[in-house]
Amino acid sequence: MSPRAGAALLAGVWGALIALFAWIIHQRLVVSGDLRLFMPAPHTSVERLLLEEVSEGPAARLLLVALTGADAQALADTSQQLATELRADPAFRLVANGENRLDSVPEALLPYRYLLSPTLDSARLDERFLKSELTARERDLASPAATLLEPLIPRDPTLEIVKLLQAWQPSQEPQQLDDVWFDRRGVAALLVVETAAPAFDPEGQKRALAKLHAHFEHARSAAKVELTVTGPGAFSVLMQGRSEADARLAGILDTAGMIVLMLLAYRRVRYVVLGALPLATAGIVGLTTVAALFGTVHGITIAFGFTLIGVALDYPIYLFSHQLPGVPPLVGVRAVWPTLATAVAAICIAYLAFLVSGVVGLAQLACFNVTGLASAGLASRFLLPRLMSEHVSDHGVGALQARAAALVAALPRSAWLAPTLALACLATLVLVPGPLWENDLGRLTPVPQPNLREYAALREELGAPDIRYMLAIEGTSADQILAREERLAGELDASVASHAIAHYDFAARYLPSAATQLRRRAALPTQAELRAALATAMRGLAFQPQLFEPFVADVARARALPPLTAASVAGTPLELTTGSLLIEREHRWIGLVTLSDVRDPAALVSLAAASHGEVSLLDLKQASEDLVAHQRVRILWSVALAALLLAGVVVVALRSLARALRVITPMVLTSLLTLALLHAAGVSLTLFHLIALVLAAGLGLDYALFFERASHDPAMLRRTLHALLVCAAAACVVFSVLGSSTLPVLRAIGVTVVMGVTGNFVLALLLVPPRTVARASGSQ
Amino acid sequence: MRLALLTLLPAAGWCAAPDIDALLKQLARPAPATTPFVEAHFLHLLTRPLVVAGKLEYLGPDALARTVESPYHERTEVRGEAVTLEREGSKPQHFSLQHAPEMKSLLGSFAALLSGDAAGLRREFDLDISGDEASWTLQLTPRDAHVRSRILSIVVAGRRDEPRCITTQQPHDTTTVMLVSQAAEKPPPMADRAWFDQQCK
Repeated sequence: MSPRAGAALLAGVWGALIALFAWIIHQRLVVSGDLRLFMPAPHTSVERLLLEEVSEGPAARLLLVALTGADAQALADTSQQLATELRADPAFRLVANGENRLDSVPEALLPYRYLLSPTLDSARLDERFLKSELTARERDLASPAATLLEPLIPRDPTLEIVKLLQAWQPSQEPQQLDDVWFDRRGVAALLVVETAAPAFDPEGQKRALAKLHAHFEHARSAAKVELTVTGPGAFSVLMQGRSEADARLAGILDTAGMIVLMLLAYRRVRYVVLGALPLATAGIVGLTTVAALFGTVHGITIAFGFTLIGVALDYPIYLFSHQLPGVPPLVGVRAVWPTLATAVAAICIAYLAFLVSGVVGLAQLACFNVTGLASAGLASRFLLPRLMSEHVSDHGVGALQARAAALVAALPRSAWLAPTLALACLATLVLVPGPLWENDLGRLTPVPQPNLREYAALREELGAPDIRYMLAIEGTSADQILAREERLAGELDASVASHAIAHYDFAARYLPSAATQLRRRAALPTQAELRAALATAMRGLAFQPQLFEPFVADVARARALPPLTAASVAGTPLELTTGSLLIEREHRWIGLVTLSDVRDPAALVSLAAASHGEVSLLDLKQASEDLVAHQRVRILWSVALAALLLAGVVVVALRSLARALRVITPMVLTSLLTLALLHAAGVSLTLFHLIALVLAAGLGLDYALFFERASHDPAMLRRTLHALLVCAAAACVVFSVLGSSTLPVLRAIGVTVVMGVTGNFVLALLLVPPRTVARASGSQ
Repeated sequence: MRLALLTLLPAAGWCAAPDIDALLKQLARPAPATTPFVEAHFLHLLTRPLVVAGKLEYLGPDALARTVESPYHERTEVRGEAVTLEREGSKPQHFSLQHAPEMKSLLGSFAALLSGDAAGLRREFDLDISGDEASWTLQLTPRDAHVRSRILSIVVAGRRDEPRCITTQQPHDTTTVMLVSQAAEKPPPMADRAWFDQQCK
């Protein structure tokens, strides 16, 4: 087989393998949207609670819906029609729009009304009580409410079910117009919808949202009624949609930019294709490894992974630019390989540090990059040269290269530059006021701020409880918690009376403890007693003698009922309300007391202190800040470890501390400079900036290593300059596109990397080979 | 031939009963208007009818008040869809017409009658008129099937421009007869269906 045919066969097999694995991954890959993967690992039970609430608690499944654009009547009609349709759709578990529906209590729960309602705490179903109730019912029948109440009266003459429904209304409700919830200004009808799909399942959320929109189209009473949906699920769909749209656009622009750049640099179509092969290999190998090791891959891992793996694009460029005419590529590559291998090994070893960061998403990212970059490096060394032609021109020869070399030689250099710059950067970081780090967990989500503000505003309108303070009661069983909550009610009522809080809500409001239910059950009369009391109470009233037999039967049934428990409310509307307030975790139970409008946190602190450990006050804001700070410390340690490992690899590879120092200095200085510039611009640093900095440092290391290698040979220096100009231009093209993204996170990464690449390139020129360059240009 | 018959039809209608639109125009009252009422409820739940008396106030196109003065005190106010029921000895109750389309349609028919809203009335009911100007009967049959399952018909009987009696027929033999204006001025001798029906003639 001729070498030409061999090369063609290799290219064919390589390309086919990439395509095959891409297809397999496309078919098999499970992409997760669980935000926790990129959030810090929890250490305390409060932190764990916080993260679970963020990602899978019922609160995370809530979609807040606002209907606007028409008059109140039209909005209310739409709200009711929409709610009716959504209630019939299994994709939604709970739909609340303020309607108080008598038929919303399932038949199985009806006899429980005497155990759940507080009526029997202060009254008995005796003659006196029944007399006053029946008199009121007779009057009801002669009032306009008759048609509404008539069907209920034979079975429920005390209207217990109406009392229960009123008691189950949220403790702090939005205003009602035309019988449904409205915002304070009365311009938006509000609904709360809980999806069956978890918040971090973007596909499930997408389906639920599509259904919600379809139901809305069907239910809207006027064409001008508009729908706004917000909430964690809507965010995950929004983010997926926008990142996909941005990624598609970026992909097209990047590809076009790279093709133009490669054609300009190497003037051969073949090299455009060859340059893409190691990158594609890196992506496929990285993704396959992560999928095999972790099972699912986070959407953000894929997005960030493909961003970071862009370093692999540089590997073929180093090969191409350093090629010499007439030298077989497999021979030529040996000259470049030690430097390239050092670069690949250093960055791979540095990424290993992320494996111990304690953040699963970062560990995935590390795994993706280590395997991806290693395979790209090996492919560039052992496969790519077999496809390259030896009939090339010397990329070190040319007017542009000569001018660039002259420019580099003429650059002003000073031994003071590095220390002065470092000091200035440190001074900026220390002296410029403003928070260096972002501590707000909410801001660490990639969701744009306007969307978060809209969500917060709707939450507030809906009277959602305080998101900072909560009381937690731990216990060994659900019933123990319910009993403790009932005991706590007195103190909480006192806190409401003293205006320390405005409202509170807990599971026992909906589901009384077994003891309370048994006490009420014991207060129910026997069938004979009830019949006798009824007969006396009905005297003088117009009711038919046998009318209340269904009532007598229900009371008899209630006397034999076992108390309703957290387990037995499953599948009823009560499960939804108690589910978020009563949580089971590893055989322990946690009861949450949500508070609204907390005005005196100190009163809550002393309430918790007086409970002898039964009740604890959760400060979720503090907990989340602790969590973020904790995560940052771990990540910074990881970065420090990465830097040490990287420096170690460079020292070993170059076998000289002085040379290693010259290579590492531009990278360290650039990182400092980027941090200082971001801080001076008022940007609070997040995980995303750190990731961008690490990428820029990885690219900078390559630049410095190749500059350092070329410092003794002017011809090679020009070839290296050619390679590094192409590399830096490529990075700037790719990350400028990212920097123009609509997503703040992508913008942050893009801008940071462009700053880092520019800094690394310029500082490598200024700091790495001052004397040799001067000598080289002098000999020209 | 057919054409000739068609031209005759409206004329025949004129002879048989008063024109509905003309009647509705006559029945309209400017707000606020007040009339006494006596109301008898005949329900299958009960062994004898419940009779209450008081006054009805028409406060505007969307607002009605019904005050019971005998045998106890109670006031119901309807504004738009919101209903407030106040009764001596207990705190006011609020509910909405949204869950009781039949009640909404009932009260809607009152409001439409009092404001002379013929189009609104026709949207909700099939109208049928009989008798003559001196003594007429206007029958309202709900068009909506759901409402019709709760309210079979509402019959308004009156003389000239004054309604006297509104009879609401519901399933399970439930009937409410409400006497208004002059018919409500004298108290009923006893809670007797025949007497009430007599007043509506």
